[in-house]
Amino acid sequence: MRISKTWSVLMYLPFLLCFILFLVVPFFYGIYISLHQWSVFGGNGGFVGLDNYTAILTPGNIYSNAFYNGLKNTLVFVAISVVPLVIISLALALLVDSIPSNLKVFFRTVFFISYAVSVTAVSAIFKWLFTGNGGYVNNVFDTFGLNTINWLNDQPSAWIAILIATVWWTIGFNMILFINALDDVDQNLYEAASLDGANSWNKFMHITFPSIKGVFVFLTIITVIASFNLYGQTLLMTAGGPSQSTQTLIMVIQQMVFNQNNLGVASAMAMVMGFVMVIIVAVQYAYSFRKE
Amino acid sequence: MNKRLIFLGMAGTLILAGCGGGGAADQTEDGKTIITFINGFTGGDGEYMKKITNGFNESQDQYFVEESQEKDHYTKFKTGDYDLLLMHTDNIETYKQDGMIQDMSAVMEEAGISVEDFHPVAAEQVTLEDGVYAIPLDIHPMTMFYNKKLSPEAPETYEALLELTNTLQEQDPNLYATGIPSGGLPEWYMMTLVAQNGIELVEGNHLNFAQDEFADALMVYHDMIFKDKISPPGLGLDGEFQAFMKQVEEGNSAVQTATALTGPWYYQAVKEAYGDDLGIASAPELGDNPGVYGGGHTISLPASVEDEETMAGIAEFISYMYQPENLINWAESGQAPTHLATMEMVEADPEKYPLAAQNIQQFDSFVGAPKVYQFREQKKYMVENVFPQVVGEEGMTKEQLMGELEKATEEARQIAETAPQ
Repeated sequence: MRISKTWSVLMYLPFLLCFILFLVVPFFYGIYISLHQWSVFGGNGGFVGLDNYTAILTPGNIYSNAFYNGLKNTLVFVAISVVPLVIISLALALLVDSIPSNLKVFFRTVFFISYAVSVTAVSAIFKWLFTGNGGYVNNVFDTFGLNTINWLNDQPSAWIAILIATVWWTIGFNMILFINALDDVDQNLYEAASLDGANSWNKFMHITFPSIKGVFVFLTIITVIASFNLYGQTLLMTAGGPSQSTQTLIMVIQQMVFNQNNLGVASAMAMVMGFVMVIIVAVQYAYSFRKE
Repeated sequence: MNKRLIFLGMAGTLILAGCGGGGAADQTEDGKTIITFINGFTGGDGEYMKKITNGFNESQDQYFVEESQEKDHYTKFKTGDYDLLLMHTDNIETYKQDGMIQDMSAVMEEAGISVEDFHPVAAEQVTLEDGVYAIPLDIHPMTMFYNKKLSPEAPETYEALLELTNTLQEQDPNLYATGIPSGGLPEWYMMTLVAQNGIELVEGNHLNFAQDEFADALMVYHDMIFKDKISPPGLGLDGEFQAFMKQVEEGNSAVQTATALTGPWYYQAVKEAYGDDLGIASAPELGDNPGVYGGGHTISLPASVEDEETMAGIAEFISYMYQPENLINWAESGQAPTHLATMEMVEADPEKYPLAAQNIQQFDSFVGAPKVYQFREQKKYMVENVFPQVVGEEGMTKEQLMGELEKATEEARQIAETAPQ
């Protein structure tokens, strides 16, 4: 069936319109605001050039202190979360892929269902589990005679608790994409490899991984982006503590907008954050496909 | 060409559709003028405020109060269009300087009330240099809840807390007199000692934490944990409440406290847990004089409200709300009203309003937040970085603390400089 050009354009228009309204316009408007002194309530206070950028990048003032602390904390989370979020989901996908097909749907649903829970509920559950004074995990430690941990009030335990909550919450999404990629791998390759005497590890390294590498890189990139956007878990589980050590850049930007009313500085922070993300993703992309 | 025009028209309509708002008052289907009132009463007290607004709506054929109870109502307010705003007392100066609220003297006059109708401490909080920028609703001071099974009487001094903790520790090493949290209410703990020691934190337009007396006052909490074991160490966010609600069990490391110095909003939870064994008392005297800190709710008028019909409706609502027989609903929620005539009703029946009646007794020694621009941001470094160190690091010395207090003061000074000129 041929679709006319007019219909194609009409079908495409809603997306284009939303893309322009909610991505292109806000992006350029954000750049514009970041070059102005802009209060949430008072509006545009005048053009200030790169002053907002200078303020957040020059150490020793309230804006740069908050920005660098938020950036550092965010990078810590990106560093500790991306590997488990990708590797554990890949391992789960391989596990689910290897079980009898009549059980696959059940386990796929079980592992994915946590992704449907809201961040508020996830954070409430894990806050209860990791409460230092009489929380569930510490009660288990007590039962086995282990020293209890002040999970949410000390480091690095606060990051560990947030990481566990995040892995539990989001692992299903990555896993589903890996399972779909695994379904597309040509089964004949495995049979040929078996005939050549390849073991499971060899099959994974020489057949499975190269076949799903595109999905692997894509998931690594979107996991980095998702980890950069960490907000709900730290807000609800630790409130940015202990001593602002889990205060992420998104939290800092939100506070800059709604607590300090400073949309100009907040927009500049968002732009720099976006720039950092682009650099990291570009390096990742270039590194992943360097041979090609 | 036509298609392009249609596309541009659609896009333009969509964009302009989001640019509405403002202008004359909205009306209900039956022609009543709508007054939009946003507040943050999402807890147990929300239903009592609803009683007041529903009562007003039922009594009216001209106005209708549309109440929104939102968890983060300040954010909603800043991005929305409302006629009345529930305001915490520590925000009044900031919102006034940012031009977000307006003088309410005319509305109050129209409603037949004045600041003299309120407890002096509440009247002082809403009165700024050039007008009255809010109508006081309540004060919620730091409140002591105590478990009568562990402490038959409320400890009123540091010595009494020390004696209590020694008695409890003999029974079980996981029992303590009270709990000092590292997150949640540090501002209240810190400012209560400021009030009790008569420390003047404001210097010019900012808070000056780098004071010898303030460092000494803060070290009291350090000593309560690490020297005198009045509080267990390591209590985190809202730890004072959680430790009060715990039950110690043999072989378990969980700690329990006999008292909680906390916010009155936990009343329903502690009442449910302890029933008749629950006692309510004033904050103990840990400093040189009686004194207590806490928060306060007020009602503010957004600067954007100009419509005369809306103003008349707001005055009508305020007039209704501040009738003692209506405002008493607020006392029923556990909040302590600052309206003098309503306070009399509460004090006349302390059995019906136990929490409000108790907290009204603290009004005379209550000290509210200093009137500085962005108070919440100015004290942020203190609350999020310094206080957790004081109550979390056993080896913390006064010299180290002074270094941190200087950093906190510098942050506060820079925040103050962001005030609109």
